[in-house]
Amino acid sequence: MGKAEDKNILIRKGRIIDPAKKTESSADVFIKDGIVEKIGKNIKVAGSDIEVIDAGGLVVCPGFVDMHVHLRDPGFEDKETIESGAMAAVKGGITTVACMPNTDPAIDSEHAVKYIMEKSINAACRVLPVAAMTKGLKGRNITEMGLLSQAGAVGFSDDGKCVADSMLMYEIMRYSNQFGLPLILHEEDYNISKYGLVHEGHYSSMLGLEGISGLSDDLMIARDIMLAGRSKAKVHITHLSTAAGVEMVDKAKKDGIDITCDVTPHHLFFDDSVLSSFNTNFKVKPPIRSSEDRKALAEGIKSGVIDAVASDHAPHLDTEKNTTFKLAEFGTIGLETLFSAAYTKLCREEKLSLAEFISLITCGPAKILNIDAGKMEEGREANITVIDTEAEQRIKRGDFISKSKNSAFIGQKLRGKIVCTISKGKLVYNNK
Amino acid sequence: MLSKKSLLDIESLELEDIKLILSNTDSFLEISKREVKKVPTLRGRTVFNLFFEPSTRTRTSFEIAAKRLSADIINFSAAGSSLKKGESIIDTLKTILSMKVDLIIIRHSDSGTAKMVDGFVDIPVINAGDGKHQHPTQALLDLYTIKKRFGQLKGLKAAVIGDFLNSRVARSNMELFEKTGMDVTLVSPAMFLPEDFSEFKVRYSIDDVIEDCDILYMLRMQLERQDRKFYPSIMEYNRFLSLDMERLKKMKPESIVMHPGPVNRGIEISDEVMDLSGKLAEKIVIEEQVTYGVAVRMAILYLILS
Repeated sequence: MGKAEDKNILIRKGRIIDPAKKTESSADVFIKDGIVEKIGKNIKVAGSDIEVIDAGGLVVCPGFVDMHVHLRDPGFEDKETIESGAMAAVKGGITTVACMPNTDPAIDSEHAVKYIMEKSINAACRVLPVAAMTKGLKGRNITEMGLLSQAGAVGFSDDGKCVADSMLMYEIMRYSNQFGLPLILHEEDYNISKYGLVHEGHYSSMLGLEGISGLSDDLMIARDIMLAGRSKAKVHITHLSTAAGVEMVDKAKKDGIDITCDVTPHHLFFDDSVLSSFNTNFKVKPPIRSSEDRKALAEGIKSGVIDAVASDHAPHLDTEKNTTFKLAEFGTIGLETLFSAAYTKLCREEKLSLAEFISLITCGPAKILNIDAGKMEEGREANITVIDTEAEQRIKRGDFISKSKNSAFIGQKLRGKIVCTISKGKLVYNNK
Repeated sequence: MLSKKSLLDIESLELEDIKLILSNTDSFLEISKREVKKVPTLRGRTVFNLFFEPSTRTRTSFEIAAKRLSADIINFSAAGSSLKKGESIIDTLKTILSMKVDLIIIRHSDSGTAKMVDGFVDIPVINAGDGKHQHPTQALLDLYTIKKRFGQLKGLKAAVIGDFLNSRVARSNMELFEKTGMDVTLVSPAMFLPEDFSEFKVRYSIDDVIEDCDILYMLRMQLERQDRKFYPSIMEYNRFLSLDMERLKKMKPESIVMHPGPVNRGIEISDEVMDLSGKLAEKIVIEEQVTYGVAVRMAILYLILS
């Protein structure tokens, strides 16, 4: 018959986690022609053309949704492509990614959105375009949000940049509201961050590295909360990094503002004490902040203020990272370590329940983007991840299949490993 | 032998290393006073002066130190080098390593570069100043100068004045002075202090320390390293932070004035003080710092390479 990945699949005796209902059960899952045919105990199916996955002792859950990814396509295909990024995603158990528009050209036209949609048809996972808020991400003119949303954009963002003009930001909010799509906001006050490389605090002071104060994020978060309150827009603060940010989003939610937020595994995992190594993979934006900020982010997850964990996968070439700290590009890759890095910190150290954590990388982001993902139900296309939560591995540069290798997690010991990923109904990753 | 192969920062220096460097400096200082200022100690060893940032004093000081020890020293400066043709630092290092040198002395405008270079090569590396981070040999020669004057270090009151935000000398000296038991006070306006120096004692005016300090360490105002200029004016600086005759006269009899050079005349120190002669001039040890700098660097080269 057909290729192994086209076979029908039976996942046996897995610990099934339904993150939306936060329930667990032990059951089998049968996938026929790419569709979840049945979830239940002791499923009996006949036929030789069945791929059986023994999931005894393993977790079976919906494929992950990573709502903040840079696929660098079009324009920077030497760093990553839709194809290579999607392969890295499924290796990380991710079956849906939302890709950011800071490509070349930027995803700011109907044509560019269609390019992503078409190029991702054959990708290993679903790729959903986030379109630019302003033309060319220049922070001056609003994009054709109507055309972009009709073409398939799932949100708007100038990620990597922040609209400095407050009046323009207010109009962006009012207009985006018409289309019901979220604005994904990278918060940064350039007057503060301009020369900065790392979090401004004890370590920047001692190491002589130019600082980026937490105020850079906080002032813009405060502004955008006020603008969102007035415009009634749906706003999402991405890669939240500060304690004050968590506090402000918490209050805004209580005040009835339509606001959500996400945090990256690297901001949850590291604090600025790692900077003394001058390892350029720790140069990210927003910067890895103080231990107090890190703790506040973890608390924000536990208290439910934070709605999603997203990688901010930011591939860069070796030549852009193997240089001085000042000259190195900002960013770390994160698709392949999304689960294990956050799981190690949140579940193993901070004692968050596995179901709660999984909801942050499945139904949590799916709800923010208002997309049909992060669920595992009979009759739906199979997007399923099988995880060995007991596995432990030291991350090595050679482990990564992403085109770029700039991971902040190289050398770290992480818990949890993706065993299999079924994406778009097919077994696309099998490490069993 | 030092406890580590390279000299990158003050933090990784053990107290034993510091003692060893100071005690060896005495004998190397003696060589510099001879008529034939050369010993064969490092004959046949090749030292590479890798300077990505303009420098006359430090580069020359290392060059003289290496030559007095009979090492071969090669000077590389970024101006006129292949870096202008887009060669990366890593490729430059590979080229240097292929030529089988024994030690690299690195100066670079970006913080952390010495550590990066050390991580890339197996041979020892000496940090001759990396951005706003560290300048350990400057701190060690300053410490030697102080030891020469006072005999001991513990309990001495050191006041460091000026631009801490942009100064690598400040970071190395503060750490080394504290490490050796001195009582350190930083004098600086808010905009010249990094965000978190909260563990140090801070004053805002030179007048708060002038009568009580043993060492008045004037930092160079790093005009070339300031990303944004927030300080209102030189007149304001003079009023609160500069050393002039009036202030010099208020200092304790045995106290000294230091500066890593080159002095911005009229900013850190007035012309009058700089050109002083007679008894009061003995307080100004800037030239001794330079003289001892060669001997300290000889000691460091010797301890690392032999």
